[in-house]
Amino acid sequence: MTETILSVRDLTVAFDTRRGPLTAIDRVSFDIGRGEILGVVGESGAGKSVTGSAVIGLIDRPGRIAGGEIRLRGERIDNLSPEAMRRVRGKRIGMIFQDPLTSLDPLFRVGDQIVETLRTHTGLSAKAARTRAIDLLAEVGIPAPERRIDGYPHEFSGGMRQRVVIALALAAEPELIIADEPTTALDVSVQAQIITLLKRLCREHGTAVMLVTHDMGVIAEAADRVAVMYAGRVAEIGPVASVIAKPHHPYAVGLMGAIPTLSQEAERLSQIPGSMPRLTAIPKGCAFNPRCPKVFARCRVERPEPIPVDASRVACHLYDAAERAA
Amino acid sequence: MSAYVEVTDLRRRFDVSKPWLNRVIEREPRKFLTAVDRVGFAIEKGETFAIVGESGSGKSTVARMVVGLLPPTAGEVTITGVSMTDPRQAAARRRLRARIQMIFQDPYASMNPRWRVGKIIAEPIRAFDLIRGEGAIRARVGELLGLVGLHPDDARKYPHEFSGGQRQRVAIARALASQAEFLVGDEPTSALDVSVQAQILNLMRDLQDRLGLTYLFISHNLAVVRHMATRVGVMYLGRLVEVASAKDLFAAPRHPYTRMLLDAVPDLAHVGRARVPVSGEIPNPIDPPPGCTFNPRCPLANDRCRTEVPALLDGVACHAVQEGRA
Repeated sequence: MTETILSVRDLTVAFDTRRGPLTAIDRVSFDIGRGEILGVVGESGAGKSVTGSAVIGLIDRPGRIAGGEIRLRGERIDNLSPEAMRRVRGKRIGMIFQDPLTSLDPLFRVGDQIVETLRTHTGLSAKAARTRAIDLLAEVGIPAPERRIDGYPHEFSGGMRQRVVIALALAAEPELIIADEPTTALDVSVQAQIITLLKRLCREHGTAVMLVTHDMGVIAEAADRVAVMYAGRVAEIGPVASVIAKPHHPYAVGLMGAIPTLSQEAERLSQIPGSMPRLTAIPKGCAFNPRCPKVFARCRVERPEPIPVDASRVACHLYDAAERAA
Repeated sequence: MSAYVEVTDLRRRFDVSKPWLNRVIEREPRKFLTAVDRVGFAIEKGETFAIVGESGSGKSTVARMVVGLLPPTAGEVTITGVSMTDPRQAAARRRLRARIQMIFQDPYASMNPRWRVGKIIAEPIRAFDLIRGEGAIRARVGELLGLVGLHPDDARKYPHEFSGGQRQRVAIARALASQAEFLVGDEPTSALDVSVQAQILNLMRDLQDRLGLTYLFISHNLAVVRHMATRVGVMYLGRLVEVASAKDLFAAPRHPYTRMLLDAVPDLAHVGRARVPVSGEIPNPIDPPPGCTFNPRCPLANDRCRTEVPALLDGVACHAVQEGRA
């Protein structure tokens, strides 16, 4: 693998409540290399967005990072002071959220918002920053950027607004971009444009991307590798082609079978009985064991650790050498 | 008149003008948004007719007019030969009402949070006076809960005690309570996670097989539509642009918009696909382009497309297809 940009090891995020701490993220580990797009996929409550928030240091109280470490180019960023983290955010880590309107200030022209980011993080002069902002808008495919730069967010369509947010995220040439459901609020035809744009820009700039989404189709098209999360844990992580075509973890197998696709018509979709456990009631052992078709005694008592299977890492006792031999 | 549901020349216009005083002072004319424009289709008994389209295409407005929640501006809906608008058929319509039910996207918003599920499901039974006697009603509610894969004891719970998927099951049980034979689902699985979506889609298909239900299925998700529908209508800016059997539509889409849409959907089969996304976004429906509304984004558009509205002929509303240019 090329140079590692983001390295997350045993990340644990807990939310303190009156009834004691709830573990939302439980010992999650992954790496993202230069120019690589890691898809983080899971159903609601899987902890994918909380993982993204933890990386950019935006876990709000009562949540807190309860263990593990996050390194950006080898440097720890999970224990930085809020002031130091504020400088990392925007400069070294860019962010794209689901709803572009919440990332843009409705009272400021989009150009001013990009110029502000550029001046804060790069120290360009006002004039140079404006020229650069026009270049950025052109790069993300906004027509007539020298005119549109003076428009307000409400004058842009949904897809164009998301392009502005991408320009804003890229402004300070960050090493890493956290994209949390960047295409979920958009219509399919616009969604395709944004995915293509994101892919091209990461390749050109060598930016690492953590793409958080519930949409496996988006992951399939955009990501290089994918981490499938379940109940705050990584069930399986590996190259996108192999996780989709030949998933190993029973949850990943069920998830892929449950997704209707355009390419083939299935009489019935495979369904996983039950639903994701609540944080207050995560089962002992493997979190998936009550819904798993292949559950056996060990799954109910011992939590599986990720083990290498083919090109992936899978947290499932089925793939343990001892179980295979038996 | 043989089809179960007949929709002819349906139109709906919304008044989106500013208040009277503003119009007088600013000398602005009234403004109208044509949400649905000359839509016509027929649904045979026992089939699933799906309407797909992006946001703002008018698909939900059509659904609401079909069930009678919204009066059409022009055109007619007849179900089993009974007009949904003709005042002379009010008595026949009242008898028909029990047999038509709707399932909404957010099941929680369509239930009274202070009522127990048993009371929610029994409401249509009481409203239409179908069964008399508390014991008999309770038995029927238990039977309905069993039919949708829940336990008869769940009747004592409140809606908030259920997960999203279970709540949608309750909504389906309520829809079936009045012995409905025609269900209109407006994005019934869009708010659900994929594994739960698979459960609900499978349930809807099973119920159709067992009870001979007829569905009008509204969705923006083409893969879901492919899985559910017998026939599909594609809407764009209030107009039906293509109607075909699900098989033909997905195998050989004819309208340029349908082709674009099918090409744009991110799908599991497209790992790492590089493609040229379509340009442009859906225009503002208040001020749609003249002629064929798709013409600004259409690669096949010519002068005729920019001036003349194509009629839906032989299942497709496109000059290029009709002239043999596509």
